[in-house]
Amino acid sequence: MTTATTSRHRPLDPAPDVAARARGLSKTYGKGESAVHALRGIDLEVRAGRFTAIMGPSGSGKSTLMHCLAGLDGVTSGEVTVAGRDLSGLDDTELTLFRREHIGFVFQAFNLLPMLTAGQNIVLPLELSGRSLDRERYDKVVDVLGIADRLGHLPGELSGGQQQRVAIARALVADPAIVFADEPTGNLDSEASAEVLGHLRRSVREHQMTVVMVTHELDAAAYADDVVVIRDGAVAAHLVEPTQDELVAALRSKVA
Amino acid sequence: MRTVLFASLRHHTRRYVASALAVIIGVAFIVATDGLAGALRDGMTADVGKPYAGASYVVETQDLEQVQALVEAGAREGFGVQPIAENWTSLRVEGRTVDNITLGTVALDPDLRWQELVAGQHPTGPGEVVVDERTAARAALDVGDEVVIPFAEKEGAFRVVGISDATVGAGADVYLLWSDIAADQSVWVRGVLWNGTFSAADELTDGAVIWTAEEHVRDLQKQITQGVDVISLMVMLFGAIALGVAILVITNTFAILFAQRTRDFALLRCVGVTQRQLRRSVRIEAMVLAIVAAGVGVLVGMGAAWAFGSVLARRFDAMGQVSFSPAWVIGAAVVGILVTVVAAWLPTRAVTRVSPLAALRPDAGVGISTPAGRFRILLATLMIAGGVAALVAAMANKEATTAILLMLAGGALSFVGVLLLGPLLIPALLRGAGRLISRKGPAGAVARLATGNSVRNPRRTATTAASLMVGVTLTTAVLTGLHVMWAGLSEEMDTSYSLDMAVAVIGAEPLPDDIARRAAELDGVDDAVLVTGGRHELLTGTESVLLGVPDTSILRGSEDVLRGADLVVPHELINVLGEQDLERYYADGTVTVRGVDGPLVVKVRSTDAYGGTVVLDPAVLEKLVSAPEPRALWLRAQDGADAGDLETALNTLLGRSDLVWSGDYEERTWVETQMNVMTGAVVGLLGVAIVIALIGIGNTLGLSVIERGRENALLRAMGLTKPQLRRTLAVEGLLVAMVATLLGIAIGLGFAWVGIEVLVAEMIDTSFAVPVRQLAVVLVVAGVSGVLASVLPSRRAARVSPAEGLALQ
Repeated sequence: MTTATTSRHRPLDPAPDVAARARGLSKTYGKGESAVHALRGIDLEVRAGRFTAIMGPSGSGKSTLMHCLAGLDGVTSGEVTVAGRDLSGLDDTELTLFRREHIGFVFQAFNLLPMLTAGQNIVLPLELSGRSLDRERYDKVVDVLGIADRLGHLPGELSGGQQQRVAIARALVADPAIVFADEPTGNLDSEASAEVLGHLRRSVREHQMTVVMVTHELDAAAYADDVVVIRDGAVAAHLVEPTQDELVAALRSKVA
Repeated sequence: MRTVLFASLRHHTRRYVASALAVIIGVAFIVATDGLAGALRDGMTADVGKPYAGASYVVETQDLEQVQALVEAGAREGFGVQPIAENWTSLRVEGRTVDNITLGTVALDPDLRWQELVAGQHPTGPGEVVVDERTAARAALDVGDEVVIPFAEKEGAFRVVGISDATVGAGADVYLLWSDIAADQSVWVRGVLWNGTFSAADELTDGAVIWTAEEHVRDLQKQITQGVDVISLMVMLFGAIALGVAILVITNTFAILFAQRTRDFALLRCVGVTQRQLRRSVRIEAMVLAIVAAGVGVLVGMGAAWAFGSVLARRFDAMGQVSFSPAWVIGAAVVGILVTVVAAWLPTRAVTRVSPLAALRPDAGVGISTPAGRFRILLATLMIAGGVAALVAAMANKEATTAILLMLAGGALSFVGVLLLGPLLIPALLRGAGRLISRKGPAGAVARLATGNSVRNPRRTATTAASLMVGVTLTTAVLTGLHVMWAGLSEEMDTSYSLDMAVAVIGAEPLPDDIARRAAELDGVDDAVLVTGGRHELLTGTESVLLGVPDTSILRGSEDVLRGADLVVPHELINVLGEQDLERYYADGTVTVRGVDGPLVVKVRSTDAYGGTVVLDPAVLEKLVSAPEPRALWLRAQDGADAGDLETALNTLLGRSDLVWSGDYEERTWVETQMNVMTGAVVGLLGVAIVIALIGIGNTLGLSVIERGRENALLRAMGLTKPQLRRTLAVEGLLVAMVATLLGIAIGLGFAWVGIEVLVAEMIDTSFAVPVRQLAVVLVVAGVSGVLASVLPSRRAARVSPAEGLALQ
């Protein structure tokens, strides 16, 4: 429990340094007796230019938290601010427009549209928002991710690791304020996982991106700067640059 | 296994709705047709027996001498004899002319008199007539009115003494006594009611068929019934086409549903369900759907027949009691069940190929399926080539029956070939069409997504498109065929029936000078021209109205009225020529007529096109009539004007009764109406197939939306707004509908061309023409329907929030 206390007492820089913030965030599915309280009053600040991992066991609410932070789902109560914008008052269309301007996504599977080529998948968010493509940035991202020779292929013709790298490229090309990655290595072998995570970390280091990754793998979390541990819909710990031991301790603390 | 079966039926009910609807519509169509045909048979045969009710025998003879002998025998021996006779003519009532009048007979003998009166009494002697109540209303007649019947030989004046109840399939507009109707030799005798002995009748007639009255009535009813049966069979053909389209829709539904349930099936196989059990289970599922849909179809069809029947019965006397023949109803249900089961057969076969391992593999999302195997392409190419060869052979073949058979076989073969090639052809066309509508920017992205979605599953899309193509191809072929026929007919009528309407005065007083201008201002009159001429005795004892040919721009087309002759005369004038004159006329076409300064030899052509008037070269007119004066009006009607209204308006304008009418406008509008009714009926009937196809498009889109839930959520996460998502589906529906329609129109035009060459080119001089406006309507309707078909699926897709969608498997 000590680690959790430490994080709460650590003074956090306010506004410019914060990419996303949740205040008293609650999310309830259903009504009455069958109501499920997925999130119960989450307070959280995700710092800009850092790689944050959200960890927790199955059913802890980590995916729901990500959906709420990313504007994919409405909240029951509390407020969510992303890139300085309060998301709570936005309707579906405003949320959608906000997402395509400011947020990038990498999912576990079904990341790419099967009928579009890798290249078409990468530029799709830009096309949808009608923004013009920064050719230089596109070439650089594609080059760094090592998929330059795969752009003309359909997703079905790519390996799992290649598909995830295409998804990362798509997230980076639009230059979003924050990238959310939901179990990005869940379907990959260890070698491909290491590659994908390495790319995510590099995008934080070299492009000053903000990445939030939901994962339940310790190995994946080890790539992150900050680790938020969620349990039963609440923040159990918020660790800054934890060591492997601190992380394991935080994850085990409930069991103890 | 039963638990699984029932659970999956319950679970997937909503997804089967569209397939069920397709079968229901097809089955209901056949059942309703049968019910309405029953009503028509009932209505049309109900009154047929009436005229024969009081007779023992019916002697079928047309020989007037025999008929007269029979009538006299009856009068002599004192038993009832009554000829049933008919004639066709017009009526004149207080100067008005009522056209299309059938004359019938009414008996003096109460036993053989069958008309039921609603007013007045039956005739008691010559000169008295009974009028049918509908005719009385049409001609504004009542008991006590005087009517003039212009028989071919002489006019007869009659008094209306009674109004009779309307009948269907028997009877006439005006009933005369036999002695009155027989005064004209053109009378047509259907038969003679005979209450004497068989042998007596046999003796008086030589070789005439003598029926008992009951036999005769049964025979008449059979003839009518057969006529109705032919019509209803033709209508059923459209029901069959609709069910054919339903097969495509159902096959697609099952293929899509089973694809979506692959994991379920694999899981079942994992827990020990055998291939056979699985196959049985899904086939029973199809069977249940088939039975339910066919049953509902029968009920809907019966309901529709009752509803339509009662509405129609209020307007048409020929509609009787709606009734169903068990054979047809059972047949329709069986066909509906067969169609469903057959349509589900192929997809159910695929189900059993699912390996248990599929359940364990991670779901790779919606894959892209292969378009078409080499065998399919080869087969399709062969069929198209064979079909086209047969079509070419059909056009070259002079023997009508062989040519038609070749044409039908070639058409079917090549069309099936195109359908087989669909998985290759349709996506290629969709990609092309997609490229046309793809621009830069968000709208372009939506268009590209829609195009990509539409071609990702070539077989599915091809089947969907094929279902619409069937209806569009047939509609196009019929529309084009009728259009070309109508163009040919109308061109022919322009030359042979070029004068719309002509009215000449036969009295002494000429027409006012300004009458043409006033007539031209009437509603429905395009132009009018005054014709000068005069009354003149061309041949001794025959006074005719002579008209100098006016400005022929009043005619349709460019008919040369005189065609080298000096005079154009009615046939009746030729008939009164003496033997020598007639021989000369036949030899060189000349006739000697009385001129102002003595006899004149003129070249003559005879036709009844100018209603008893003589039309001649104005130069010749001066030699025959000393002082020409305005004697007639020639008119050209505006397109679409009602012939009857036009005549009434002119009658009012002229305000006199010494008129002779002629012209072919009524004929022309009648032919036009026939063509329009035929076009409307065929297009309306094919509409059923098109409606089913559109349900199919909506169905495919709807099922695809379920399938693409995860993908749509991804798109939404990446910034596709709800309206954009809806638009993506609308564009997909539009693309598929448009491509299917354009392809259908193209093939339909080809078929129409072949059809015209084979069927009508011999009879009418035609040149191929595309009914651009009608086909544009087809295209627009298909496009709008494609978009409408996407409404429900797209609403459903947009309802799912991205977070919900991402959680979908």
